[in-house]
Amino acid sequence: MKRICNLLTAVLFAAFLFVCGAAFVLLPDQGFSAEENRVLAQFPAFTWGRLADGSFSSGINDYFADQFPVRDLFVGIKGVSETVLLRGENNGVLLGKDGQLAVRRFRVYKSRLVQTDDMDYYYENTVKRNVEAIRQYAETNGMETVVVLPPRTVDVCADAFSYPGEITESLHGAFSELEDTGYIDLLPLFREKYGAGEYVYYRGDHHWTALGAYYAYREIMTAFGMEADILPRESFSLEEVPDFYGTTWSRAGYKFVGPDVLTIPTTGHEDELETTCLSIQAVKGEDGKQRRELLPYKTFDGWLVRDYLTEKDKYGAFLDGTHLVQTVFSKTGERERLLVIKDSFANTLVPYLSAHFDLVIVNLAEGEEDASRYAEQFGTTRALIVYNWENMITNINPAGLR
Amino acid sequence: MIFSSLLFLFAFLPVTLALYYLIPGRRARNWVLFVLSLIFYGWGEPVYILVMLASITEAWGFGFLIAKHREGNKRLARTWMTVSLLCNLAALLFFKYANFFIDNLRLIPLLSERLSPIEGLTLPIGISFYTFQIMSYTIDLYRGETDVQRNYVAFGAYVTLFPQLIAGPIVRYRDVDDQLTDRRENLPLFSSGVRRFLIGLGKKVLIGDACSRVYEYAKGTAQFHPTAAAAWMTVIFYTLHIYYDFSGYSDMAIGLGRMFGFRFLENFNYPYISSSITEFWRRWHMSLGTWFKEYVYIPLGGNRAGRLKQYRNIAVVWFLTGFWHGASWNYVLWGVYFGVILMLEKTFLLKALDRIPRIFRHLYALFLIGVGWILFSFTDMAAGWQCFRSLFGFGTEAFATPTVWYEFLHALPLLLIAALGATPLPKRIWDTLCRCDWTAEGALDEKGREIPVKDAPLGTRGRVFGVLTAAGCFGILLLSTAYLVDSTFSPFLYFIF
Repeated sequence: MKRICNLLTAVLFAAFLFVCGAAFVLLPDQGFSAEENRVLAQFPAFTWGRLADGSFSSGINDYFADQFPVRDLFVGIKGVSETVLLRGENNGVLLGKDGQLAVRRFRVYKSRLVQTDDMDYYYENTVKRNVEAIRQYAETNGMETVVVLPPRTVDVCADAFSYPGEITESLHGAFSELEDTGYIDLLPLFREKYGAGEYVYYRGDHHWTALGAYYAYREIMTAFGMEADILPRESFSLEEVPDFYGTTWSRAGYKFVGPDVLTIPTTGHEDELETTCLSIQAVKGEDGKQRRELLPYKTFDGWLVRDYLTEKDKYGAFLDGTHLVQTVFSKTGERERLLVIKDSFANTLVPYLSAHFDLVIVNLAEGEEDASRYAEQFGTTRALIVYNWENMITNINPAGLR
Repeated sequence: MIFSSLLFLFAFLPVTLALYYLIPGRRARNWVLFVLSLIFYGWGEPVYILVMLASITEAWGFGFLIAKHREGNKRLARTWMTVSLLCNLAALLFFKYANFFIDNLRLIPLLSERLSPIEGLTLPIGISFYTFQIMSYTIDLYRGETDVQRNYVAFGAYVTLFPQLIAGPIVRYRDVDDQLTDRRENLPLFSSGVRRFLIGLGKKVLIGDACSRVYEYAKGTAQFHPTAAAAWMTVIFYTLHIYYDFSGYSDMAIGLGRMFGFRFLENFNYPYISSSITEFWRRWHMSLGTWFKEYVYIPLGGNRAGRLKQYRNIAVVWFLTGFWHGASWNYVLWGVYFGVILMLEKTFLLKALDRIPRIFRHLYALFLIGVGWILFSFTDMAAGWQCFRSLFGFGTEAFATPTVWYEFLHALPLLLIAALGATPLPKRIWDTLCRCDWTAEGALDEKGREIPVKDAPLGTRGRVFGVLTAAGCFGILLLSTAYLVDSTFSPFLYFIF
C-alpha cells in the first residue's frame, strides 16, 4: 500500500509538470489578452549580447508567465481559494453583497515619479493640489463651469461591504473645498439611489450605468440653470447589452461572479450627430515651414461604435474608447458649445449632453491638460469637468490643468 | 531562477528530471546536475557563472595541495588552505562588501573625494551560501575530516547543486561526499522528496507570500497614518513571512535533493516554539549556526578558554552572522543584538527564565525575535525605530484606524493558519492519522545519520489517509500554481480612463 501511495504521489506530480509543460510548448501563442487588455509577451529575440546581460532570460520569464496554459482557470481557482479563506477580497477588489465588486486598493501617487504599491490610503497633498488646480481653473476660465467628481464604487456601494467609510469621508471632505465653484456633490444622491436598489453603478466595472449617468446629467443641467430643458427618462430608450465583464471583474478574478448588462441610452436621433477624433499633427505649410495643427483623424456618425459590443471591452462603444480630443457636433446646425474636461465617466454622459450641446471633449485622464487651447479654438461658452475620485488620488493630471 | 516560479516548475524541473533519469550512470548524472545547475544559476546573470567556476576551480585545485601535505608538512598544508580560503573570500568580499566599505570610508572627510563606489556591481545570487560551502570543503580537507575530491564534475555538482544553491541549507562537503559518488535514487525517497518539496512550495507561495502582502500593507499605512495596530501587524506578519519564506525554501531544497537521491540535513526545527533566544538559534537556520560553530567559534577556542574568551568568541560569531546576512549596518546591529542577548542568557537570564511560567518564556522569546525582525527588515533604521516606538503607541495617531482594523480582521484566518502551521502540531496530528510519517524517508538526524523508517502496518485508516496525503500534495501543487499564475496576471485596465 505504501508503494501505491508513493507511486500515486510521484506520478501525479510528474504528470502535472509534464502536461502543463507540454501544453505550453504545443498550444499556439496568444497575441492579445482581452481579459487583461494588453499585448502578451512573445518569445524574445536571441542575441549573444542579450543573453549576456540577462535580458534574454528575463524575456523568457515574461514569455513563460504570459503564455502559460489555461491562465484563466488558475486565476479563477485563486479567486475561490481567497473566498474560502474569508479574505473578503482578491487582488485588491472587494467582494460584496449580490456580487457587487469594488476596487479597494489603488496605486496612489505622491508625485509623477513616486507611487506606492496597491494601497487604500492616499496622499493628501496630491488631492489638495488637484482640487486647488480645478478650483483655480473653474474660477478663471471665463466660462460658466460645473465640476462633477463621480465617487468610486467603494464609496457609492458602501452598503454592500463591511469596508469602513473612513477614506470615503476624508475624500468627501477634501472635495467640499470646491463648493463655491460649481461643484456638485454626487455622493449622497448616489448612495441613496444605490440603497434603494437602483442599478446606478455596475457591479463588475468601475463606471456608472446609463441610469447613474442620467442622474448626474440632471444635476449638471440644474447647475447650469437649465432645469427646464432636462429631458425626462422616457425620452431615452435603454438598449441592453448582456455579458458585460468589466474592468473590476477582470482584476478581481472572481470567476463565479456573473456579468453586468451594459446599458446604452439612445434617443433615435443619433444619426444627426457626428463624432470627430482630433490630434495635433505636424503639417508643412505653403511657405515650406512646419506647423502644428489640430487635425481630424477619424470621424463617425453618432457617438456609438457598435463593433465594441461584441467584444470584451464593451464600454469602449461609447465614443470609440480613448482619444485625446474629440468633438460631438450636430450635423444639422450649430448649437451652444460645451467644453468637457473628463475621464471615461463622461463617456456615458455624452448621450444625454449631446441632446443639448455641441461637445468639445478633452481627455484630462490621458494627459491633455491644455483645455484653454480648445476652448479658444472652438468657442465654447460653458465648461464641465468630470473626473472621478480614483483619478483624483491616483494621478496628478488636474494639477496641470490650464 | 527561483523555485517558486512557473518557469522552474514547468520547464526547468521536468527537463532536469527527464534528463537525469533517462541518462544512466553516476558520472553522467553528475554531469547532468552540474550543467543544468549552471544554467539554473546563470539564468538571471550569466556572467557570474564565471565567478562561480573560478571559485570551484580554485578550491578544487588547492584541494590537491592541501591533501598532499596535510599528513607530512602540516605548515605547508595550512598555507595552501589559507591561500585557498582567501581566494574564495576575496570574491565574496568584493562583490558583497566592497561598496559597503567604500561608502563607510567616504564618511571620513579626507577620503570622500578620493573614493567612489564601484558602479554596476550587483551581488551574484547565492554567493554567500556557496562560498561557505566551498570553505567547508577546504577546511575539512585540511583537518583530515574528508578526502580529496579528484573528480571535477562531482565537486562542481556539489557546489552548484541547484536545490541548495540559492538559499541553502549550507551543506557541508563532508555530509554529502559519499553521496556525490554513491547514492541511490528510489521511489520511496523520490516520493518523500516530492511531498517535502510541495509542502515547502505551499509554505512559500500560499502562506509566506500572503503574509508578506499583509506586512507590506501594514508597513505602507505607517507613512499615511501611523498606528500601534499597524506596527504590531508589521512585526507579526513579517515574523511569519520570513519563516514561511525561508523554511519553505529549505523544505523545497531538501525535497528536490531527495528527488535526485541526496539526503540533506534539516535547516529549521519549528523555531517559533522556542522559549529562549538560545533555543531559537538552535532551531533557526541550523546549517548556518552549525557552520559558524564549526569553523569560527570552536577554532577560536569556543567555551573552553575561559569566560572572557568565550564572550569574545560569541561576539565575533554574532558580528559575523549579522554581517553575513547583508552589507548594511542594520544587519550588523541585528547580529550584535542577538549576540548580546545570548551572552545575557548565558550569564543569568536562562536561570531566571526557568523560574517563570512557560507561557511567559515563550512570549519573551517571541517578542525579542520580533524586535529582531524589525532590525532585520528595515534597512532604513530611522523608519525601523519609528516602527518600534509605534508598538507602544509613541508617535502614533491612534491605536488603530478603522481601515487597519478591517485589514487585521480579514487577515485573521491567515494569521491563525500561519501561527498554527509554525508549530509541530499539524504534522503530529496528520502523522497520527496516517499511522506513518510520509516525509520520513531520507530524513537525517542532527549528526547526519540516516533515521531508519519504521515499517508498521498502515491499517484501513492509514491507507485512506495515505491516499488523502497524495491528493493533498497534488492540491497544494494545483493551488500554488494558481497563485503563481495569478501573480503574473496583471491586467492593464485603465487605458479607458
